[in-house]
Amino acid sequence: MERMNGEPKALRNVLYWGLPVLAIGLIAIGWIAFSGSNPDLMPSPAAVWSRFIKTFTKPIAKTTLIGHAWASLKRVLLALMAAWAFGISFGILIGWNKKARAFFGSIFEVIRPIPPIAWIPIIIMWFGIGEFPKILLVFIGTFVPLVINTSTGIEMVDRINIQVGQIFGGNSSQILKDIVIPTALPSIFAGIRTSVSSGWTTVLAAEMLGANAGLGSLVTRGWQGSDLSLVMVAVITIAVIGALLSVILQKLEKVVCPWNH
Amino acid sequence: MEPLKKRMEVKKITKTFFGKKGYFTAIEEVSLDVYDGEFLVILGPGRCGKTVLLNIMSGLEEPTSGSVFYNGEEWKGLNPEIGMVFQKLALMPFKTVMENVELGLKFGGMDKGKRRELARYYIELVGLAGFENYYPKQLSGGMQQRVGIARAYAVNPKLLIMDEPFGKLDAQTRYQMQEDLLKIWEKERRTVIFVTNNIEEACYLGDRIILLSDCPAKVKEVYPMDLPRPRDMVSKEFLHLRTMISDNTDLSI
Ligand SMILES: Nc1ncnc2c1ncn2[C@@H]1O[C@H](COP(=O)(O)OP(=O)(O)OP(=O)(O)O)[C@@H](O)[C@H]1O
Ligand SMILES: [Mg+2]
Repeated sequence: MERMNGEPKALRNVLYWGLPVLAIGLIAIGWIAFSGSNPDLMPSPAAVWSRFIKTFTKPIAKTTLIGHAWASLKRVLLALMAAWAFGISFGILIGWNKKARAFFGSIFEVIRPIPPIAWIPIIIMWFGIGEFPKILLVFIGTFVPLVINTSTGIEMVDRINIQVGQIFGGNSSQILKDIVIPTALPSIFAGIRTSVSSGWTTVLAAEMLGANAGLGSLVTRGWQGSDLSLVMVAVITIAVIGALLSVILQKLEKVVCPWNH
Repeated sequence: MEPLKKRMEVKKITKTFFGKKGYFTAIEEVSLDVYDGEFLVILGPGRCGKTVLLNIMSGLEEPTSGSVFYNGEEWKGLNPEIGMVFQKLALMPFKTVMENVELGLKFGGMDKGKRRELARYYIELVGLAGFENYYPKQLSGGMQQRVGIARAYAVNPKLLIMDEPFGKLDAQTRYQMQEDLLKIWEKERRTVIFVTNNIEEACYLGDRIILLSDCPAKVKEVYPMDLPRPRDMVSKEFLHLRTMISDNTDLSI
């Protein structure tokens, strides 16, 4: 597909650095042009920038932008830690143990297609709109992809790898720990990646429906107060943090699965 | 010359797989003996049930009928005295050469310092010193085979089964590996069952050759190989044996 040696190396470097910059540049130009001709629909970059500065000088709900970002992040991280602990263990259980799979597998097939935000009404009815229901919602949204990726990864481990474990005298838990789980690690990691991105979107959705802090609440506040610049500030912050999270995960994967690189 | 103690006896083993589209007999009524200390070669055409037979001998799979005797007693299930070099290699991609080689020692509960030392010895024995911290992916096919051999040797098995270990290597590497394997075997003598579909390789390595027929696998002939080692692959005796076996085989292998 790709001609690896087609162009000289220097040119290729320029291209791979230059193209993303070009893309961002085009978006910026489009943004400026659009906001110039439709100021009611889209605030200009300059307006967004000054709104951004204002979030620090004049905090919203007594919280600066950093505070709001941290509020969202904290919810996601708490939920993720719980989801990683439970989701991965549970995925391993139903991937490894046939009886557990027979029992829980069907339940999972039913729950699996429900998008996390569909739980919002039920969760709000049961638990109100405090911290816990938001964390719970993110937990639900991230638990499912974790379980599915982990259990599929475990199930797909080639039989021959398990035979190697048997021939070399491993008992069931040694084979699981030393062979099966590491073999499934790339797919467990795929689950972690999905969980982070879906957790990040779910927390924002939850916050948009009612919260006094968090980036999602800023979006709602800006929207309801016709403060489009604030909406843009929140949206860009959401995008930046989302991108940062995925970069961190990529680095982490290199540390956890060094043999893949 | 030949030691007479029987390490393993395979008695009338048949393996039939039952699937959706009926059944398929992979091996039929195979009986053979494995003598202590010998280098036994099992030679058979592709897809004729060699791996299935080995899996039954090592206890990974159960026969449909027949039985395996080990040291004179009937044996069922996994046999801890058997080591194996897998046809598909099955090295753990996430483990370094060192960690792959010490797998069996780790499972056996040996402490880290001791198993490192032992594993290092076998890594050196197969000529991979200096590659301890490489991942399998970073090694050539031949080097990966060596890791598989070191891993099997490291647990000090009484009976070592090698399933087409050189099947995927180019001719040059293959000759080199055959020679090295004999050197290792002479140094660390143990009973070896070596499976191949290459007649020349079988004649070069084996103390005895058991020739299997095509599907379903049956024992077609047993050839004792009295040529002294190292064998000259172009000597008259060697070529004569080779032709004799070749004329007796099913299909071209
Ligand atoms: N678990 C199984 N279920 C059904 N059929 C099987 C199973 N295992 C092996 N077979 C069949 O048995 C036959 C013999 O397989 P086997 O792998 O033992 O052959 P082989 O002689 O080792 O072949 P090769 O030279 O390719 O290594 C094949 O046709 C294979 O499809
Ligand atoms: Mg085979």
